[in-house]
This record gives sequence, C-alpha cells and structure tokens, in this order.
Amino acid sequence: MDNLTEMLKGTLEGCVLEIIGSEETYGYAITRRLNELGFADVVEGTVYTILLRLEKNGLVQVTKRPSEQGPPRKFYALNDAGRKELATFWAKWEYITSRIDKLKEGGR
Amino acid sequence: MGIHDIIEGKKQWRAHMARFKALPSDYQIVYKEIQRYFFKVGPVGLADGSLLSGIVDFFEEGVAAGKGVLELIGNDVAAFCDDLIKDSRTYSDVYQESISGKPGTAEQ
Amino acid sequence: MNFWETITGSDLTRDWKAFEARAEALPGDYRAAWGQIIAHLFPYGDFTGRNLMPILDGALGLLEETASDGQSIHEVLGDDIPGFCAALAGGQGARTYRDRWREQLNRNVARKLGRLGG
Repeated sequence: MDNLTEMLKGTLEGCVLEIIGSEETYGYAITRRLNELGFADVVEGTVYTILLRLEKNGLVQVTKRPSEQGPPRKFYALNDAGRKELATFWAKWEYITSRIDKLKEGGR
Repeated sequence: MGIHDIIEGKKQWRAHMARFKALPSDYQIVYKEIQRYFFKVGPVGLADGSLLSGIVDFFEEGVAAGKGVLELIGNDVAAFCDDLIKDSRTYSDVYQESISGKPGTAEQ
Repeated sequence: MNFWETITGSDLTRDWKAFEARAEALPGDYRAAWGQIIAHLFPYGDFTGRNLMPILDGALGLLEETASDGQSIHEVLGDDIPGFCAALAGGQGARTYRDRWREQLNRNVARKLGRLGG
C-alpha cells in the first residue's frame, strides 16, 4: 500500500522497538523486516533517525560489532526502560485501535 | 566554542573531512546540503560534532551496502533532517528562552 | 555545566577573534554579507553578544561552505537579510524561513544530483 508515511509516523517507533525487542539487531535488518512486512516506503534513513532517538532517550543498549564488509555495525537491544516503553506503546495501540474499531462499527 | 573549534579540539575535524572526501559524489552532495541546512536551523547537537559525524557513519554503511544516497535516506532529504533533530532544541530556541525567561515560547 | 555556561568572557574575545580570522578568508561579497549579518543580529544579543555566538558560528559556517562552492551570496541569503537574520535568531517569520530552507535543501539536492547524471 502506498502513501502510508503520514499515518505510520507515530507508530513506526513502536514497530522498531518491537523488532529490537524480539532479538538484538541492526539498522539495515530492521528496515528489511519492515519492508517485508509490507511497509515498502520505509528507508534506512527513517530507521536511522528512530534508532538515534531511542539511543538518546536511553531505551536501547548499543554494541558496535565488526561487519564482514565495510564499517562496524551498531547492534541494538532493548534495556529495561525500552521494554517499559514497548509495553506502553502496545497499551496505547490497543486503546486507539479499540476506539477506532468502535467508531467504524457505529457504536459509542 | 564553535562547531569547528570543538571538533578540532578533539582533533577530529580533519579526520571527519577526510571521511567526507572518501564518500562517493552523490553522498558528498547530500551531506553538504544537509550541513548547510543545519547551519541555518542550528540544532544544539551541532556543537559537539556528534550529529554530523553520525551522518558520515551512517553514510559509510550505505556506501558499503552499495546503495545510492537517496535510496538510503529517501527523496525527501529535508524530512530526514527534521527527523534527525526532532527532539533536539535549536540555538534559536535557546536564545528565545534566554530573552523571554521561560522555555517553550520560541517560534520555530 | 551546559554549553552556554562554559562560554566565559575571555572565551568570547577569543571567539570574536576566531570569527574575524575566518571572515577575512571569505571573498569580498561574502565578507560584506557577514558584516550585514552581524549588524542585523546584534540588536538581538545582550551587550556582549554571548547568546548569539552559536548562531553566528552557524551563519559563518554557512558562508564558508557556500563560498567554497562558488554560489552567489544572493542565492544563499535571498533578498531580505534582516528577515533572514530574524529567522536565524528564531524571531518573527522563523517558521516561514524554515519551510523555505527545507524546500531549498530538497531543490538543491535534486538539481545537483541531476547534474551528476544519477
């Protein structure tokens, strides 16, 4: 689906947290995961800005590891604060989707 | 106390420029335009050099992966820049706060 | 201690000297523009200009960058230098200018990459 950018904006950070939460990983792999999921418009640059923010806000643990080709890669894993943030994200998501579903079904 | 001074103080500015010059021309063009934009907007992250050197780190990874620069960060370079500094204040914010005596009143 | 607090009076003099030295290296029309920028930004500063230092540093960096690129000063600053300076300091019209800078960024990238034949 095209033109999801605006609608995805607020939720992409949660998606990245979820991906990191399931295993320690790096930017390119996260981007590929999102692309495979069907978010084709997400580029590495977008993920990079999110990772930078997560790092700055102290939600991830970062480890530099040498890569087979090119410069060392930064690997990301969730720390306790990150796991808390992820739980909050899903709680908010739950809340929003349940309200919107209700709206769609014509309920109150 | 400027950007150059600080990075130079850490003897990193020259290394930074050498890395910049080693990038392919499409990356160099985009890097320069980004730097120019940040000089005008003035995010506080400019001063310690982390913002710009982080971009070069990220670009080097893109080059190693054999990608073109816009493939890496998307066509909307300005959006990429604004995402990068989303949570960070700018010197003009700091300045506006200094004259108003309270935070958060600066027009962006 | 934050960035601002580390700037003491003596640092400030040193900063001004460093600015002057950098400005000396600029081409004539750029040096003139630098003079105008200082003149227009100065009313925004306290009497030492302390709170303007990082903003001036960015502006000078911009001039150095664009001068070495052979861009015309007019292309960089536009018609309205006072307006540009107000925007640098986050004053009136800053939002409009930010949008303009944003468009300028994408336009320059498109043009220069196009010239590259990419």
